[in-house]
Amino acid sequence: MDSAARKLTETVAPSPATENPLSAPEPVPAQLKTGWVWRWLALHRSQLRTLAIGAVSLALFLLAWHLLTKYRVTAHVRFVNVPSPEMVFDSLTRVARDNKFLSHVFLSCRRIFIGFAIAATVAVPLGLVMGRFRLVREIVFPVSEVLRPIPAIAWVPMSIMLWPSNEESIIFITYLGSFFPILLNTLHGIAMVDPVLIRAAQCLGAREASIFRDVYFPATLPHVFTGLTVGMGVAWVSLIAAEMISGQFGIGYFTWEAYSLVQYADIALGMICIGVLGLGSSALIRGLGRVVMPWAKT
Amino acid sequence: MSRNLGRTLAAVALAAAIYGSTLAARAQTVVTVGIGTQNTTTNTVTAGTIIRQLKLLEKYLPKDGKYANLKFEFEWNNFTSGPPVTNGMMANKLQFGMMGDYPLVVNGFTFQSNPESKSRLIAVAAYNRFGSGNGLVVHKDSPYFELSDLKGKLVSVPFGSAAHGMVLKAMQDRGWPPDYFQLVSQSPEVGSTNLQEKKIDGHADFVPFAELLPFRGFARKIFDGVETNLPTWHGVVVRTDFAEKYPEVVVAYIKALIAANEWFRADPKLASEKIQEWTGINKEVVYIFLGPGGNMTTDPTIKPFLIDAAAQDVKVLQNLGRMKEFDVTKWVDDRYVRKAFAELKLDYEAQLASTANYEVKGEDKFCNKPIVEPHKAGEVWVDEAGIEPLSSAACTLAAYSSLKAKGKKINVAYVFDSARGIKLFADQAYYAVASDKTAIAPFLLKKDAEDYAAKNGGRVLSFDDALKVALSGG
Repeated sequence: MDSAARKLTETVAPSPATENPLSAPEPVPAQLKTGWVWRWLALHRSQLRTLAIGAVSLALFLLAWHLLTKYRVTAHVRFVNVPSPEMVFDSLTRVARDNKFLSHVFLSCRRIFIGFAIAATVAVPLGLVMGRFRLVREIVFPVSEVLRPIPAIAWVPMSIMLWPSNEESIIFITYLGSFFPILLNTLHGIAMVDPVLIRAAQCLGAREASIFRDVYFPATLPHVFTGLTVGMGVAWVSLIAAEMISGQFGIGYFTWEAYSLVQYADIALGMICIGVLGLGSSALIRGLGRVVMPWAKT
Repeated sequence: MSRNLGRTLAAVALAAAIYGSTLAARAQTVVTVGIGTQNTTTNTVTAGTIIRQLKLLEKYLPKDGKYANLKFEFEWNNFTSGPPVTNGMMANKLQFGMMGDYPLVVNGFTFQSNPESKSRLIAVAAYNRFGSGNGLVVHKDSPYFELSDLKGKLVSVPFGSAAHGMVLKAMQDRGWPPDYFQLVSQSPEVGSTNLQEKKIDGHADFVPFAELLPFRGFARKIFDGVETNLPTWHGVVVRTDFAEKYPEVVVAYIKALIAANEWFRADPKLASEKIQEWTGINKEVVYIFLGPGGNMTTDPTIKPFLIDAAAQDVKVLQNLGRMKEFDVTKWVDDRYVRKAFAELKLDYEAQLASTANYEVKGEDKFCNKPIVEPHKAGEVWVDEAGIEPLSSAACTLAAYSSLKAKGKKINVAYVFDSARGIKLFADQAYYAVASDKTAIAPFLLKKDAEDYAAKNGGRVLSFDDALKVALSGG
């Protein structure tokens, strides 16, 4: 509720002079202002609800974590040596003081972005073509099915040998992580296109190119975006394996280095950081999805 | 049919009765003991792989008193570095662990915050008094021949490892700033591949990589830990909650460790071959570490100079901001190793004071001389035939050539560095040859060989050229 109220304040009164909209000194009738607020509230009720429940659930998670580690709970699952949220917060304040941590985060984001962007630009068209032309599918599918289950960490030595620079090796691994979910979802999307639509378009004299552009592509887009969201998640999953190569920078490397010096609080910090960044990037993709396909409910 | 059934039932009942009575007599409790080993880190094999494969621990386990009804089951978990062992020990999945000096102090320090148990150092697996074992290698085609050639270059080392400590100490000794190299952290697996692909300029690593990578043919060692003059060692740590509950098992473990050391020294060639079979590390590489005059001395006693070295390690880690207060002396617990020595009727104090390794000995059949100076000697490993001791580097090279001329397949030859006393692969060494061709002195570093040659009026030759000289001279 608290966060909802704060959000409301910000939206209604962006200038600090009018902190409280209810006691606004302007001659604008208070009636109108509160009406505005109520209308906004009513409009965004479901989002606010999601936000509030989300905040509560996160707070509960933190509380449970705090209690489990504070009382060092041992009920088959053992929290004896698991770092507490306070310890992780201490780590955060320590690393936040120098720019190094920020550069770790920045570099990881850049690697993910590049790897993901390449994966998307390759996998989506490839998926569309594979879905449309059986021969291409028959050629590409077996190879992709063999490569798909190989975990990112197994790719580390190959990737080092394949690419001339470390940065490319790392991007390659994040690329591999996101490539397959995007490809498969695109393929699935094509398979789900209603053949009636295709026939209708053909009856109306549409050529292959325009069928592709006007029927297949929009019909497949929701699946493509599901693939992109999943692919983004997997890209972050591959990050630690990928950044083992760099030996210097990146949030995955930060976590790895903390492990090699057995610093549990830093490990947890790295994990949470990856989680939050993953959440943010998935949200970005969903947002993009909403812009690109206003008709779809995502 | 029914008679058959009746008979079967009777048999089952009888079996159950017998089983029940034995169960009543010895209600056995099973205790699972997790042991974290590093099979590929050759200097821990006597504390891990050998004990496991020869079932030495089972041999020394106590069987009477409170142990009559206890059955121990051992779970051997293999890792490629120390930190995962510490992690497993913290989680109480492992009770014993073995690792190098830096990971050991990190282990002790990490356990300080564990409310259930601490960790204690109970024995040493192997050590090198002057720091050999860790080393820095470069690609064999690279133009780097000594540490200063790598200024500003990309050098990787597994952070938090003994090799990391070596690099930091070497930089400190030379008064170099922390950014003298571009130092990055890479695990042995990643660093080795990167070096092979020339993505990095140098890679510093712990046992056995500084020997293994040159042996595999793509790397050249340009710095040996011996130059830091700081001991390097691997040791065994145990959880105190386990050790206090079953002290006799800890003692039995150390007895098994002593037996493993003896087994290796009794027949180093066979032992090296077995270890190659068990761990995948080439026997020639195992032998350079653990064979006679090898670069590692296996000795379970906890020597004061090793503890001093650990205290140094703590300081280095504190300077890096990786560690807070940690008292090394309180972490050492030599009661178990002393007890094991006493029970085996061995003299702990004498062993503690001794830093002797076993050496190359025997009769040089090629030059027909006994071996009197083991650190000027050499060895030639003839495939299938065995390892021939030779009395000098010149004899070693001459024997090498002559054996080769006879069509024998030679696995490897060893010589000793004339300045630092460490064992070298003969084909990787530089040779200072006196102008009259009588004396040949092998060196790890080109620079050492050049200095020696300049001083004594000679020239520096590669292995192949030195072979020709040795043959014509001999």
